[in-house]
Amino acid sequence: MTYVLNRLLSVILTLFLITLVTFAVTNILPGDVAMMIMGTQSNPEALAGLRESLGLNDPLLVQYAHWVGGLLTGDWGNSLIFKKPILELLSQKIVASAVLVVMSMGIALALAIPLGVWAAVHRDKWQDTVSSSSALLGVSLPDFFWGIVMILVFARWLGWFPSSGFVDPSVDFLGTLQHAFLPALALGLGLMAHLTRMTRSTMTGILSQEFIRVARAKGLSERTVIWRYALANAIGPVITIAGLQIGYLFGSIIVMESLFGYTGMGWLTYQALLNRDLPLIQDTVFVIAGVVMLTNLAVDLLYVVIDPRIRLG
Amino acid sequence: MKRFKTTKGMIGIVLLALIALIAIFGPMVIPPDAATAMDMRARRAPPSLTHLFGTDQLGRDLLFRVILGTRTSLEIAVSAVLMSVVLGLPLGLISGYFGKWIDNVLMRLVDTLLAFPALLLALTISAVLGPNIQNTIIAIGVAFTPYLARIIRGEALRVAQMPYVEAARSSGTTDAMIMWRHVLPNILPAVIVQATISLAFAILAEAGLSFLGLGTQPPAASWGLMIQASRDQLDIAPWTAVVPGLAVALTVLGLNMFGDVLRDILDPRSK
Amino acid sequence: MKDIVSVDHLRVEFATDGGTVVGVEDVSFTIAPGETLCVVGESGSGKSVTSLSLMRLVEFGGGTITAGSLNFERADGSLLDVAAANAQVMGAVRGHEIGMIFQEPMTALNPVFTIERQLTDGLMLHKGLTQAAASARALELLQSVRIPEPERRLKQYPHELSGGMRQRVVIAMAMACDPKLLIADEPTTALDVTIQAEILALINRLKRENGMAVLFITHDMAVVAQMADRVVVMYRGRIVETGSVTQIFENPQEDYTKALLAAVPKLGEMKGKPAPEKMRLIGDEAARAAAAPAKARKPEVLLQVKNLTTRFPVKGGILRRTVAQVHAVEDVSFSLNVGETLALVGESGCGKSSCGRSILRLIEPTSGEVWIGGRDIGALSHADLRRARADMQMVFQDPFASLNPYRRLKDQVAEPILNFGLATGAALDAMVLQLFDRVRLPRDFMNRYPHELSGGQRQRVAIARALAVNPKLIVADEAVSALDVSVQAQVLNLMMELQEDLGLSYLFISHDMAVVERVAHQVGVMYLGRIVEIGPRSAVFDSPQHPYTQSLLSAVPIADPRKRRFGEDLAFKPITSPIFPLGHKPAPSTYTEVTPGHFVLSL
Repeated sequence: MTYVLNRLLSVILTLFLITLVTFAVTNILPGDVAMMIMGTQSNPEALAGLRESLGLNDPLLVQYAHWVGGLLTGDWGNSLIFKKPILELLSQKIVASAVLVVMSMGIALALAIPLGVWAAVHRDKWQDTVSSSSALLGVSLPDFFWGIVMILVFARWLGWFPSSGFVDPSVDFLGTLQHAFLPALALGLGLMAHLTRMTRSTMTGILSQEFIRVARAKGLSERTVIWRYALANAIGPVITIAGLQIGYLFGSIIVMESLFGYTGMGWLTYQALLNRDLPLIQDTVFVIAGVVMLTNLAVDLLYVVIDPRIRLG
Repeated sequence: MKRFKTTKGMIGIVLLALIALIAIFGPMVIPPDAATAMDMRARRAPPSLTHLFGTDQLGRDLLFRVILGTRTSLEIAVSAVLMSVVLGLPLGLISGYFGKWIDNVLMRLVDTLLAFPALLLALTISAVLGPNIQNTIIAIGVAFTPYLARIIRGEALRVAQMPYVEAARSSGTTDAMIMWRHVLPNILPAVIVQATISLAFAILAEAGLSFLGLGTQPPAASWGLMIQASRDQLDIAPWTAVVPGLAVALTVLGLNMFGDVLRDILDPRSK
Repeated sequence: MKDIVSVDHLRVEFATDGGTVVGVEDVSFTIAPGETLCVVGESGSGKSVTSLSLMRLVEFGGGTITAGSLNFERADGSLLDVAAANAQVMGAVRGHEIGMIFQEPMTALNPVFTIERQLTDGLMLHKGLTQAAASARALELLQSVRIPEPERRLKQYPHELSGGMRQRVVIAMAMACDPKLLIADEPTTALDVTIQAEILALINRLKRENGMAVLFITHDMAVVAQMADRVVVMYRGRIVETGSVTQIFENPQEDYTKALLAAVPKLGEMKGKPAPEKMRLIGDEAARAAAAPAKARKPEVLLQVKNLTTRFPVKGGILRRTVAQVHAVEDVSFSLNVGETLALVGESGCGKSSCGRSILRLIEPTSGEVWIGGRDIGALSHADLRRARADMQMVFQDPFASLNPYRRLKDQVAEPILNFGLATGAALDAMVLQLFDRVRLPRDFMNRYPHELSGGQRQRVAIARALAVNPKLIVADEAVSALDVSVQAQVLNLMMELQEDLGLSYLFISHDMAVVERVAHQVGVMYLGRIVEIGPRSAVFDSPQHPYTQSLLSAVPIADPRKRRFGEDLAFKPITSPIFPLGHKPAPSTYTEVTPGHFVLSL
């Protein structure tokens, strides 16, 4: 219980630090924000107006307090390009991204765990070489390249899946899955390669431990030894590593959603960055960092459930 | 497997050497205006003897463009990783070696930064600073720093607890000398391995940034930009995507292979 | 009677990156029913490879049985050549007809399964028991290995049990199906001496009750003397000598066996001797010649420790505040004379190591005084402490970790000299050269790196490094514990020789009573952070007064098969936790002087 409380307190502190970093990155860096938004050729009056409306003439501390105060009270500001309240935009887009992230993580884990275990069991044999080589190939291509290939093959040539867009799950759930499948597969493949390598090395470490030898000395079959005794120990570390990849995924969705015209958080962030929509940039960056941090927390807590050593310790 | 490792290492080294040679000498060998020279009569020409890798939508020679892109990509990746090592090494070393409150403060900061996906951080910095080559380097360099600092800190922490460090302290060696003589040499292998792997990620990040238009800007040649440009003509000119894609893949593959083998050789725990 | 096991010309090879390596070769022996056969050897002798071959577990470590047969008499009386058996047959034999226990109780149990699950899965597999029947049998097994509160243990996870209890669980697992043969591979090496005694006694009882044969693998000649009916001595993958335990100990035939026995300190053999003595090693004529007792010195105090206390915070709660304290060292006082050795002995966690480090201020003591040569170490500023380190040096336990793998040995030995500006240039080189000579290392080792040396050689380098600044005091923290017994004896002799020649004082921290008896002038026994008994070596060993000292001494295996002590079940008082809540004020240590210089903690 103290452990959970402990983590909660640290979450609040981290969220506060995240607002600081977000604000610092978007504001304190050199350069005139208004100029950045409107471009160097814009007229001075328009610039002054923008400065006024965004409160850019206030001291930084006031600007920061205003922003964080808004976050806390539910006033997240308006997007300059969409002319809409940002909170409304975010609540729509985050669902789309959640579908995508969960789906790609599912694809990656479903492939990576068996493949990694297979490689670890046949360590230094041809199976390992095959698994390692394909994993190496997987991490070597940018995921947007996979995305392009998939659009070409599955959407253009075969026509099995739509090549772009997003359908609201409350309207047509199957359609949501169809639209999410190709970007999720492209994201999942890169992730799978990484997780396969990690599963392999975790399992290799566990298989060399004494309790595995003890299990064999008891006469248990290899299947029991590997898929029960060893895997039960590997699941915790692998889930932790997978959890850390959530951060990587939330970076990658910016590229992937833009490529597939999949209107989620990544797409929204990209529109904000491309159009220098400062309020929207601040809020999306904050939300993504917050979500990543909270996911990591969830994974940590999940680990507590899985591993008795922490649960009781 | 032993043979696989050796082969893997050899392929990695050969690939890297080749790519480095292209990056350094390539731009000197090709005709000065070859990469920008447009040939409107030969737009999207498939690979042929006159244009070995074909041409793009403006009739520019893809071989020459990809050579120029090698220089850009490597320049950005190497500079960015150097920057993150220069920033992350002292941070991680001090945090790991001294521990206590210094460690608490620094690692709290690093953990916060780690909540920001590297690509998001890089994109934001690049968007705020204005996209160009120099700012792309800064963006990727800053975004990678917390990762390096974390790993270096872990290594420094491990080494700082080794008996030989205690032995050095008990024979009157100062903290600065312990860090220089004992901690640094022992974490260096891990730093080199990590830097090699980071280079691979930096190449991918640069491609991603340029692909999104927030990295290298046209008319400069960059692999990410070339892939971006190929998007709308995949059906009619697939080579415009394959050529830069292959360039990224081979470079990253070479770095990863080399990094893997380096890890096996340098990691004292694997001995 | 027919042998239960007969191994004939066994050869095991390992495929490595550097080609094929022979693990064992031409190994033959037999085990009769109800007999304990000890296979003894130093590291790399192939003793574990032999035992793993009998279970066909050697294959999982990359080994292959390339020649020979391993015949095992199965429960139905048929003979099975283990070397040729298929996986299915081996599955039925392992854990059913042959049980095995391993060295590391801390890692031998699966951390994410309950004790019950790990005890029952073998029973259900081999005996076809139902879950309920298997659980009932598991409880019986825990009772038979005398685990306190067995019902509760079944539901617990391994990390909730102490090392000794875990080893009992591992034994219970191995005994689950009443095997005819128990293989024990260094089952007590990782355990404290009192727990070792309990486990050895337990194995003896189970063997007697069940009439099973035991194949016992160990590196420790004293344990062999206590356990074996017959002994196989191995060296570099081959059998050197086989014989009954009395034959091997009293009339060894081979030079290697003789040398091995000469290097083993026997508890009690120093009785009546006034001063420490070097080991009489075979082939070490220098040691023989110098074996005469060292000349007596006029006693002069070098190190005085007064009321030394060290506590470590236990962090917890929301703000990582200190919630409790480990009382690692509690009100410890003693003095050490110039040219003498004070040994601090005790089991793991007793605070002996923390005590040594606190004296050197490698960890900061909470209170107390440490005087070395008239200087209060505790009062020194950071800069003065650095200078004072020239007087006090340390030798660590792990010779693999105490040298920086990336620095030449020459530079590592020179480092302390440079730190204190004692010499530079050619003078420095000459000093380093002299130090290498001093610890009897070849001069061409100077330009080598640590990985090119053996454990004993590295420990010599560590000693040379400690000697470099002419210290008065050397704290040797388990300095010979990680070494093979023959190497251990050589390093001990070197240390004693250096003491005679240079007048060094040693604070010798060790868990090994037999070694301590050999090297110490004074002995302090530590328990829960305190010295419970301290005095001249002969007084403490010959007439121990404190109950803890007595139980410690009664638990030490003696390297003499005619002095067996682990026949009946033993149960020592388990060591309680040294963690106390904040603000806990322990009573000061007060002592009774039983004979001059021999103090016992009053309770």
